[in-house]
Amino acid sequence: MSKTALVVDDSPTMRQMVAFTLTNAGFTVVEAEHGKDAVRKVSDGGKMDIVVTDLNMPEMDGITLIKELRKLAAFKFTPILMLTTESAMEKKQAGKAAGATGWIVKPFNPEVLLKTIAKVMPA
Amino acid sequence: MSSDFAQFQDAFFEEAAEHLAVVEEGLLQLEQHPEDLDLLNKIFRSAHSIKGASGMFGFNAVAQFTHKMETLLDLLRNGQTAVTPQTADLLLTSTDCLKTLINAAKTGAPVENETVQRLTMELSAASDMNVKAESKVEKGASTSVSVPAPLTSLRPLTEASPYPVRCFHINWTPPAWLFQRGLDPLQIFKELGNLGTLSEVKVDDSRLPDLADMDPERCYLSWSMQLKTGKERNVVEAAFEFVREDSVLTIEEVRGEASGVRSDGATASGERAVTPHPSPLTPDGSDSEPKPLGEILVESGVVSREVLDGALAQQKRVGEILIEQHAASPQQVEQALQKQRKMEATAQSKKTDTASIRVDTDKIDKLINLVGELVITQSMLSDLGARFEMSQMPVLLERMAQLERNTREIQERVMSIRMLPIGTAFNRFPRLVRDLSAKVCKKIQLVMSGEETELDKTVIEAIGDPLTHLIRNSADHGLEMPEERLDNNKPELGTIRLNAFHEGGSICITVEDDGRGLNRDKILAKAVKQGLVSDNDKLTDDQIWSMIFKPGFSTADKITDVSGRGVGMDVVKRNIEALGGTISIKTVQGKGTTFSLKLPLTLAIIEGMTVRIGQETYIVPLLSILESIQPKREAVKSVVGKGELINVRGTYLPVVRMYEVFSLQPEHTDPVKAILLILETEGERVAVMVDEILGQQQVVIKSMEQNFRKVQGIAGATILGDGTVGFILDVRGLLEIARRDTAVAA
Repeated sequence: MSKTALVVDDSPTMRQMVAFTLTNAGFTVVEAEHGKDAVRKVSDGGKMDIVVTDLNMPEMDGITLIKELRKLAAFKFTPILMLTTESAMEKKQAGKAAGATGWIVKPFNPEVLLKTIAKVMPA
Repeated sequence: MSSDFAQFQDAFFEEAAEHLAVVEEGLLQLEQHPEDLDLLNKIFRSAHSIKGASGMFGFNAVAQFTHKMETLLDLLRNGQTAVTPQTADLLLTSTDCLKTLINAAKTGAPVENETVQRLTMELSAASDMNVKAESKVEKGASTSVSVPAPLTSLRPLTEASPYPVRCFHINWTPPAWLFQRGLDPLQIFKELGNLGTLSEVKVDDSRLPDLADMDPERCYLSWSMQLKTGKERNVVEAAFEFVREDSVLTIEEVRGEASGVRSDGATASGERAVTPHPSPLTPDGSDSEPKPLGEILVESGVVSREVLDGALAQQKRVGEILIEQHAASPQQVEQALQKQRKMEATAQSKKTDTASIRVDTDKIDKLINLVGELVITQSMLSDLGARFEMSQMPVLLERMAQLERNTREIQERVMSIRMLPIGTAFNRFPRLVRDLSAKVCKKIQLVMSGEETELDKTVIEAIGDPLTHLIRNSADHGLEMPEERLDNNKPELGTIRLNAFHEGGSICITVEDDGRGLNRDKILAKAVKQGLVSDNDKLTDDQIWSMIFKPGFSTADKITDVSGRGVGMDVVKRNIEALGGTISIKTVQGKGTTFSLKLPLTLAIIEGMTVRIGQETYIVPLLSILESIQPKREAVKSVVGKGELINVRGTYLPVVRMYEVFSLQPEHTDPVKAILLILETEGERVAVMVDEILGQQQVVIKSMEQNFRKVQGIAGATILGDGTVGFILDVRGLLEIARRDTAVAA
């Protein structure tokens, strides 16, 4: 069975790029536009192998999303990576406190993305 | 590789345009509601998205500039500084600059570096000033201002290394909450194992509590290990990237112990993952292009650069060789070269012109659904066809009706994919009016309605400029100065209304102002002065209003910065007509002027009237048909020098006998027996004589120029229901033919 990934970003371009890279790497990708959308999409109790989320989003931001996900049994130990910009590294602390596994600094290329995922996701 | 992302560039430009619109609109609203935090957050998010995505494509100028804007926006939304008209102005100007930068990234157009630099400085200054005013925020803002170019992060952390083998001694005590962040020590060990040989991994379980007290979700363990690797220390540290700051971690290099392993390339390969980057990565992905032979020879040291350059200098171009061999003349080669350059230029422009469109998945789902129904209908029909008897005729007719319904629905859905709300074209106008209002020193409000009206994307893109011009015109000429308005018992605040709505198969857009209205006498005087009409010509109001669409016509007393050079209204009219639309004017002196644009919903399909001339079928665009009549004998007149005319309720119109224009054998040569269609374009009318009106249908336009060549009087062709080709009449072309014929007759 293929691995599943939840990709959350309000920018369609970014979302598509991440989703595209992951799909090519053999993932089944679920896309969400913002935190609320993401929470709704996993509300059926389904598990994900990896979550990649942006931080600045309308409705529900990435930090809140991470906190919400960690409350769910299915996401208690799921690796969650956040997409952040270099200037927002202070967000890193907030993300870690919320339960983010790691981060990817924008701009990144597909290889960095896949490598970072490999770093946190059990094979 | 980053070039993988290149295919998303179009999506980025489209998204960026949307974000820019959000930013601009948001900033304009912000002037009215400086306290609106939601609005600020929205603006910030859009700027942030542009920054993030532009970096992904290596558009560093865009990313850096947006970063400056974002910094200031961040201060605003955190309430560290208040929104002042100055900051709003600065941000609006910066938005314009950002637009130029993004456009430059898209097309490679040049950018005025001074402007970018000046604005960058101003943005920094505005942010700095605010930071100084509130000392506590100094850290957050000033650190984020001096961000280095982010390209370095594109480089891989690891590189295949010819370095000598090192031996690291690692002690690691992870934080207790390690698992709660979804981190797994095993992953880190795996990654270390991939770097080289991991040995002497020892676990320290001394901190493990009694089983009864143990929280299985906490980590009580520490580890020590040795790693032999050819990698640098920072690569080893990178394995702990996400936990380093929260762990007790020591990585010590032990010297002189690495005798067993030569380099990581020689260790048992089964333990190692393949090194991901055999060559350094170029951020633009240019290493994927095959290199010329000469370059490879130079790189591999076979020849030196000088030798190569010398050899290249001797090399002749194909054209020169052919000329020497007298296979081609220099002129022919030159012509061919020009053709090549032209092709290159078109290829280039095509590249920048490729447009994409974002479609709701909802629309696509519905379309797929409909195609499914079409397939069902088709299979039902072929099933019926396989064993058809005349008794089943009603069933056949029913199925055919179903097929027709399916086809029509699919057509509508496909069309709707190209449909966008006209608001995307409107949203630049609030800004325009704001700027104009300042420039012409008038108080102007813009009221927009019908933004949700949908029409074809191409039409939307094409009407932006004409509408801009009309609004500019209304602001500059239409509306009076505030004092004049007050003197005339009008509110000081002038209003420009922009409205869009559907009407039949077309869309209407009106630009309405409550200004002084057009001045009949002034226009007439000007027209006489310019020799467009003579003093004693009797002109209707409409004819006089249409004067303002003549090239070079302006009644403005002085030429202003905004308009009045007389360039424009003719261009507006031409642009609208190029889209198959019409423009008309309604005006009441002292009350205001309304420009009404009528545009087709799409350019690909038109509503047409099919008419018969002899044995041939032609299509007349429905939009241009005013009426069809069968004239009385006494209404048809032949006037010397003016050809054949027909009296339609007092107005004489020229008659064009279609069978003469297209050299056909008609059924009727007598206008009284035939049918006359009264067509209108550009405010002029013509009566066109045909044999019969067959019906009304939508036709798909096929270009004549692309498939044959331009033919006067024909706008295009289409495939008719019976499979034959029908020509679509070009009303303007017919008018010209009518004029020419009367000239010849004269």
